[in-house]
Amino acid sequence: MSDQKSPVNSDAADQTAETLSLQKSLTRRTLLKIGGTIATAAVAAPILAACGDATATTAPASTTAPAAGATTAAGAATTAAGSATTAAGASNASSSSGGGTLLVYWGTGHNYKSYEAVRNQFEKDFPGWKIQWELYQQADMHTKLLANYAAGNVPDLVEEPGGWIPEFGLQDKILPLTSYIQKDGKAMGFPDDWQPFTVNRLTLNGVVYGVQLHLTNILLFYNKDMLSKAGFQNPPTNWDEFLTVAKATTQGSTFGFALNQDSSYAWPWFLQNGAHWYDPDKKILVMDSPEAIEAMQFQADLIYKSKVAPIPVAAVSYEGPQKLFSAKRAAMILTGPWDLKPIKDGSPDINLGIGQALTRKTQSTSAAGTSMFIPKGAKNADMAWEFMKRVTALDVELATTKEANMTMPRITWGQNADVQSNPTIAGFAKGLSYAKDASSELGLTGKLTQIQPLYNKMYQDVIYKNTPASDALKEFVTNGNKILAGQ
Amino acid sequence: MKVVVSQDNTGAVRRVPMGLASRQALIAYIFLFPAFIYFTVFFFVPIVIEFWSSLHSDDTGNAFVWFDNYVKAFEDQRSINSFVLTLVFAISVTILSMVFGLFLALLLNQSFRGRTILRTILLIPYMTSAVIVGLMWRNILDPLVGILNKVLIAVGLPTQDWLSNYKEALWALVGITVWQAMGYNMVLFLAGLQGIPTLYQEAAKIDGANAWGRFRHITIPLLAPTTLFVSIISVISSLQAFAQAFIITNGGPAESTRFYVFHVFNVAFSEGKFAYASALTFLMFLAILVLTFIQLRVNRNGVEY
Repeated sequence: MSDQKSPVNSDAADQTAETLSLQKSLTRRTLLKIGGTIATAAVAAPILAACGDATATTAPASTTAPAAGATTAAGAATTAAGSATTAAGASNASSSSGGGTLLVYWGTGHNYKSYEAVRNQFEKDFPGWKIQWELYQQADMHTKLLANYAAGNVPDLVEEPGGWIPEFGLQDKILPLTSYIQKDGKAMGFPDDWQPFTVNRLTLNGVVYGVQLHLTNILLFYNKDMLSKAGFQNPPTNWDEFLTVAKATTQGSTFGFALNQDSSYAWPWFLQNGAHWYDPDKKILVMDSPEAIEAMQFQADLIYKSKVAPIPVAAVSYEGPQKLFSAKRAAMILTGPWDLKPIKDGSPDINLGIGQALTRKTQSTSAAGTSMFIPKGAKNADMAWEFMKRVTALDVELATTKEANMTMPRITWGQNADVQSNPTIAGFAKGLSYAKDASSELGLTGKLTQIQPLYNKMYQDVIYKNTPASDALKEFVTNGNKILAGQ
Repeated sequence: MKVVVSQDNTGAVRRVPMGLASRQALIAYIFLFPAFIYFTVFFFVPIVIEFWSSLHSDDTGNAFVWFDNYVKAFEDQRSINSFVLTLVFAISVTILSMVFGLFLALLLNQSFRGRTILRTILLIPYMTSAVIVGLMWRNILDPLVGILNKVLIAVGLPTQDWLSNYKEALWALVGITVWQAMGYNMVLFLAGLQGIPTLYQEAAKIDGANAWGRFRHITIPLLAPTTLFVSIISVISSLQAFAQAFIITNGGPAESTRFYVFHVFNVAFSEGKFAYASALTFLMFLAILVLTFIQLRVNRNGVEY
């Protein structure tokens, strides 16, 4: 058979074929090896880099830190949060020497030029230091911060909208400011020059964890021309007058009032009627009181009974009423100084009036405003404190007020001639004298963030579904008390 | 390639060539290795960690609580509500986007001038970022200052509370999602239609079948594999809907658009209950698995035409 090889020839042929095959396969193998090595390296590099980062970050703190960091960094933003925080929490705060980067999380709406000037001066005064200024919407910042805590890699300074200091402070995730206040408090006027309740709300078990940055309140914004056209020269001062004005200014697609979809805007009504979140003695929610029910039902009736307000649009932002007001489709809204600029910039022809809070059982409104804290584990806590001191200086507060009409927590700010000579700002400064922080007592339980969604649901059920306020509030209190009881 | 060494009956050691299939498999595994590592590190390991997390408590101490979080999920009315409305959303979006997608595919499978441009235009919503789509539709549907109600007023029709009526908001989001998804479904159905041999249609025509008969008895059955694929993809993506609720309605009004993933996101990142959120996520994973299995079973017979 022609194709049958002799053993000798066959071996030789095999060897030749093998050699050729080997050369060929070597080439292929080499290619595979190179390809595989590159691919493996490419996949492994970020992992190794991540491990390297975690080790570098946490190694000085504790010998167990890398393990905790690795576990949490792997994606489990979960139960390991505590251990990661503890590990990272031991890291040393830097001093001004040597330089570095100060990582600051700040609210998107508060990126003022006055703060930019503070940042520039800070970098000039501390050569080698840079401020990494990251802006976030509040909800996004909370998300980011939770992930940071879980990964053991926290920012140096955070501007929070309220409620976060009890939330994180009670979990031992915030650096106490005791030593800093002992050292610098007198010189900067803290706490003596701050409105007392703004210090109390940031104090847990006698330890101060944060410093109030802004202090705002909600007042009645009204369109003077629309009220005047309806026969009213002055804004309403109580609920009855308010309803009368709202009815008189409602015509066609123009409404007397616009409610906010954001449930926090309901608090002035509750406070004016003497309702409260929480009874600290009994440690239960008391929002099913007749006062609370009446206040909530009053708001729903503005939509469904009196028909002086539209159903608010479900949205992420709180800007709906301001947009309607700017479009001259709402005669009155409840809002704070943050809406002054959008209204004045967007509709300069609006004859804007700002009335004081209404009175029912008492004249009251809700106080709000952001504060700052240093997360436990911040790499540059000393420098973060230095920045906090500068950004809360009286001259910076006044510059921010001048720039953005923002209201401030210092007592001397309220007494300042510039503030008192500005009728708009003076109105808010007056409002601060009776404004209350509605959530301070509940906030100190550390459960506010869990109860808040239930409150939002209650508010939306009443506003959107016209559920009787009594039913919605009772359900809210029942479920909220379960959370407080740890069920 | 000589990689196997063996001994023959004379005791001499010789290299035995690896079979073609083995060589191909080896090469395949080598190339798959990086992907395997990637999926292990970024998917499988996190899934295991997530499951492990779901067995712990959210309270201080993070005690091991076995399946308590899963039991809690079945007792939590808000979680159940969000799952039910997500299911309604997913079924509605799947059916409507398939119907419209198939209709457009049939239309654009015809020969006429400009069909390529039309196909491209119809695909644009799918290619557009969910954030942009969300912002755009929010401005269109805003009941108070939106464009759509202004148009309705202009033509003398009554306005609608698109985003402030808890009975309408979900359907507004269904409409937006269908609008966005139908172009993609159209492309898939077009590919399916073009894969059907024309001889079946011609034979049926000769046999006297009318257009509906041909569509009912030839097109639909032969499109079954495409239909199955589209339905599975559509159900999975609809069950994971998030951006619409996050950007347009914030889950409102009155939680009527609080989709399951949006609910889980809030449980985790607003309420800080990561363990419970992990359990909810794992339950959704199982639900998708079961639904996909059911779809495969239901459609198995249909494919065999």
